[in-house]
Amino acid sequence: MIVEFWGHEFKVNIILGCLGGFLIAIVSSMFGFGGGPFMTPLLAVGLGLPMYLVVGSSLLAIFFNTLMGTMRHYQFGNFDLTFFLIMFPAAILGGFIAPQIAKRVSPLVVKRVAVAGLVILSLNLLGLY
Amino acid sequence: MKRVWVSLVIALSATMFMMWQNGAFAEKAKDAAPAAAKAEQKAETVSASTMPTISIDKTSLSNGGTIAVNGTAPAGKPVYLEVWSDDKVRVSRFDADVDKTTGKRPYILYMTEQMPAYYKIFMPKDKKETLDGIKKEGKNWSVSKTLKDLGADIAYSAPAKAKVDRYQATLMGSIIGSRGDLLPQMDEKENRQRSMQLIKVRFRSPDKVLGADVEVDPAGTYRAVINIREGLAPGKYSIVAVVDKGVQSQPVSFENKIVFPVMYLSNAGTSLNIVWPFILCLGISIFGVLMGAGGGFILNPILVSLWPLPHTVVAGTVMPTVLFSQASGIYNYSKIKFISWKLGTAIGLAMLVGGFIGPKLTELITLDQFKFVFGWILLILASLMFWQTTPGYISKNKKEQAILKEFKKKAEETTKAKEK
Repeated sequence: MIVEFWGHEFKVNIILGCLGGFLIAIVSSMFGFGGGPFMTPLLAVGLGLPMYLVVGSSLLAIFFNTLMGTMRHYQFGNFDLTFFLIMFPAAILGGFIAPQIAKRVSPLVVKRVAVAGLVILSLNLLGLY
Repeated sequence: MKRVWVSLVIALSATMFMMWQNGAFAEKAKDAAPAAAKAEQKAETVSASTMPTISIDKTSLSNGGTIAVNGTAPAGKPVYLEVWSDDKVRVSRFDADVDKTTGKRPYILYMTEQMPAYYKIFMPKDKKETLDGIKKEGKNWSVSKTLKDLGADIAYSAPAKAKVDRYQATLMGSIIGSRGDLLPQMDEKENRQRSMQLIKVRFRSPDKVLGADVEVDPAGTYRAVINIREGLAPGKYSIVAVVDKGVQSQPVSFENKIVFPVMYLSNAGTSLNIVWPFILCLGISIFGVLMGAGGGFILNPILVSLWPLPHTVVAGTVMPTVLFSQASGIYNYSKIKFISWKLGTAIGLAMLVGGFIGPKLTELITLDQFKFVFGWILLILASLMFWQTTPGYISKNKKEQAILKEFKKKAEETTKAKEK
């Protein structure tokens, strides 16, 4: 498939993209997270697309997944309204505060902290510590 | 029908007992025609010798607390106290373990909407050692075996009444997202057996459903101070003292009250102080945005680890919270025409199918499997993130980011120019 974006044409291996997206969507909707951190590398590295094409388009693709996942979870009775009303304002507030902080911290430091945090958390989940 | 006969027999024996005790009173009782009324009267009179009695020192609690229970019971018999909440929650369990008799995997989903949100059996203190031994066994404990070993199966009645539905799951059914065919209703005995497995799914560890706190005095009385923990469902709770199958006291009830900021999550069956999840969610979503992601993949495992929340509810509730931030992000990008609709929709349609299948699978896995797979997902994510901090990636990324900024600027300028 050929995608035209801001005056450039890109050849996209849509089969690989769809297959990867499909698998990421199953896992992320099953475990209830967005899937952004997997989708961006898939498009950028797996399909070799430039960042400026990836950021907006991957968000759009993920939105489809989140919307469907939300509906299905609701249908299976997994949605708790009170719990949602607690977390939703916090998530929105976080979205406003984060850009203010972002100017002051280096993304590299954030990522290194994230790596350490994720490893600790995953070892905990696997029961290794 | 059986119950009518039992109550009739009890009523008759009660009448005879009263006749023997006091001729005049017995005559009056005979005159009282309705059998049910007679049965009630009788229960009170007979209790001294065969039926246990129960009384509690308070009728209301504020987000848990202790209740002193005492009463009489036939001398020399162990006394079990069965406590349950009126509030019900949904529990499901997917049975894919190999059946020992047939050697096949049944793939049946057991589900009930009527599991008490709180359930616990308190037993005599001398069972403490046996109970401690079971606790040490760890995750592989079985509810039915445990109850039998402790003699507590005679007290197990409230969850046994929960109607358990079973669905025959098929691979195709799971893909298209159906629970499968509803199988015929189980008989009372099997329903009871299956409800015990669901007890384990709901309450996870033995100390949540069993406690050795009842002091039984051989002379025929008992007392216990039972601790109702924090974070339980509000509403009515019932306690009944059981000494043998069918030999039990009238239920007594108390009220558990919760006050803001403690709130009850009716779908999860847990009360919690909403301040903590709010702060947690705020912190993680800030951190998530900083590292360029939603944060759900950190939030979910922490939520299921910190609070007794079912993983299905956590997954189903965290997902919609990011829906709106994604939508606003898309809106902002689309304003400056920074989205390739063709690419986004093409991959989005594939993800739509995936999103249709995924939520069905959540209820097919156990909490432990949920944590295990999540552990691996996070390890993969950590290595992805680590790779993004390596020098090679950073120098490449710097160029990419510069181009990204340039294009974004161009896009914004074009939009502004058009508006003018």
